[in-house]
Amino acid sequence: MISKVLVANRGEIALRIIRACRELGVRSVAVYSTADRESLHHELADESVCIGPPPAASSYLNVPAIISAAELTGAEAVHPGYGFLAENARFAEICERVGLSFVGPASGTIARMGDKAEARKAAAEAGVPVTPGSDGPCESVDEVKRVGAEVGYPLVVKASAGGGGKGMRVAEAEAEVEAAYLGASREAGANFGDGSVYVEKYLERLRHVEVQILADSHGETVTFPERDCSIQRRYQKLIEESPAPGLPGDVRDGLMAASADLVGSLGYEGAGTVEFVYADGEFYFIEMNTRLQVEHPVTEMICGVDIVAEQLKVVSGERLEIPEDALSPDGHAIEFRINAEDPLRNFLPQAGLVEVYNPPGGPGVRVDSHLYAGYRVPPHYDSLLAKLIVHARDRGASIRRGLRALDEFAVSGMETTLPLHLAVLEDEEFRRGGVTTRFLKDRELKSEGGLLRLVQHFS
Amino acid sequence: MDENRPLPLKEVEQLVELVRESGVGEIRVRQGETEISVKARAEVLPPANQVPSGTLGVPDVIESEPSPEMDGLHAVRSPVVGTFYRAPAPGEDAYVEVGDTVSAGQTLCIVEAMKLMNEIVADVSGEIVEVLAENAGGVEYDQPLFYLRPAAR
Repeated sequence: MISKVLVANRGEIALRIIRACRELGVRSVAVYSTADRESLHHELADESVCIGPPPAASSYLNVPAIISAAELTGAEAVHPGYGFLAENARFAEICERVGLSFVGPASGTIARMGDKAEARKAAAEAGVPVTPGSDGPCESVDEVKRVGAEVGYPLVVKASAGGGGKGMRVAEAEAEVEAAYLGASREAGANFGDGSVYVEKYLERLRHVEVQILADSHGETVTFPERDCSIQRRYQKLIEESPAPGLPGDVRDGLMAASADLVGSLGYEGAGTVEFVYADGEFYFIEMNTRLQVEHPVTEMICGVDIVAEQLKVVSGERLEIPEDALSPDGHAIEFRINAEDPLRNFLPQAGLVEVYNPPGGPGVRVDSHLYAGYRVPPHYDSLLAKLIVHARDRGASIRRGLRALDEFAVSGMETTLPLHLAVLEDEEFRRGGVTTRFLKDRELKSEGGLLRLVQHFS
Repeated sequence: MDENRPLPLKEVEQLVELVRESGVGEIRVRQGETEISVKARAEVLPPANQVPSGTLGVPDVIESEPSPEMDGLHAVRSPVVGTFYRAPAPGEDAYVEVGDTVSAGQTLCIVEAMKLMNEIVADVSGEIVEVLAENAGGVEYDQPLFYLRPAAR
């Protein structure tokens, strides 16, 4: 096992990694910006290095500072967490060059999967179903129209370098192709510095399902039962659960087999997630995330694995240690992302002093968070404050446990998404299960007697 | 001062900024009848047992023990994470020693980051009072490297 890991991240995920290190007897090095001097990851790591001023570009994205910190502290590996440098192929390549082990796949694999058009191609070549659409990037409006004539409308034009819904435009008919193509390409260029786009048939009522994988350098690949992440707002996941409610067994087997095929064809090492859309009994590949994901604890709860610990074993050249029964899920788990956002004011980001912090406890409750009473949430970074994960014998019991735990969860000093989660759990359609990614878009938040309620609007 | 003229608040603001940036104890300017004097708070001795809250010339540092910067000293901080070297090359003389008088812009040390030698220069003129980092040791962003006593103007 490697002896020292630098954690190139902050917040709850930095803590998650530091905790895994400690349990494995691996020393941890935190890096932090001057805005995070009072942060728990800086406090709890064995060593810590201040790497720059508050803006992420000068600190958590500052490659020379992070590499220097690793060299100074003698760290052997760098764990990038998620976000920041986690899917930055250039950073992974620099780590490889200076002899630091990057916790993740090879830089070439990150680059390949980071290009969405290229990833689609790799999936298709591995025999994984992809949404009908273009074979690679589309070079012109006419090319998009040709694809449209072939697969039908509506179409969605997407940025090759994209993600998070940026550089995406829908064309309902051929007349809208030109505007969609030019709009997506312009937005892609502005956001990612690469204007190339590709086209897919637009599926409107779909569920987002994904498969967690782990692969080691000895040729073993493990695929876990799927997570359903259909509760989203503007392409940002808010609630994730596993298993996906009501998913037929043969679909689950198909998803897991397709993911294993793709991962096998890539010569992948480490943790990753293969994302699919699922509609009308069919699933299609959308993209692969070559990193640890925010929602990994959902899988950990029902499978009894420690995904971060397995990542550290893989980067040490050791074999995965996944118990046999890990692949038959035990019960049902749901994760709620508690963000510093005001649901009643268009999810306006919040920052400031956490006055009261009292996370829930009791059976089947896990909270991954970097908060404490007296902590000041800096305005410079993303709004995730805590992840609440509940685990129970079935989905109904998980929902009841979720309601109980959300109700116990006390954070004061700023508005959070806690009341939104309570409202989702009270929704009839959510309780039935199998909602699509339009769930929140189709509903309005109403405030009633201090509680939030979701009201469906029919258009 | 002519009582009918508005207070030169803008000029005062600029002077405060200048005092803050230069690290000097006081700036006094006179133009005609008007004289403005801006003194750094560091010159005011804090009451015993009270932890000083922030120091002029240093942005928002959280330190529990009273810092020598309260005695009018100025800290030169590392702008990068790296390895601290006092001399241009092994075996050569250190750029500066305690007691040396340096001028603003003069090289004090090197901080090496990813094989790049970053020369760290004095941002104010004055006397080197203390070298705070160990030669060939690691330094982090914002870490104080030297204490200087700014030259009186």
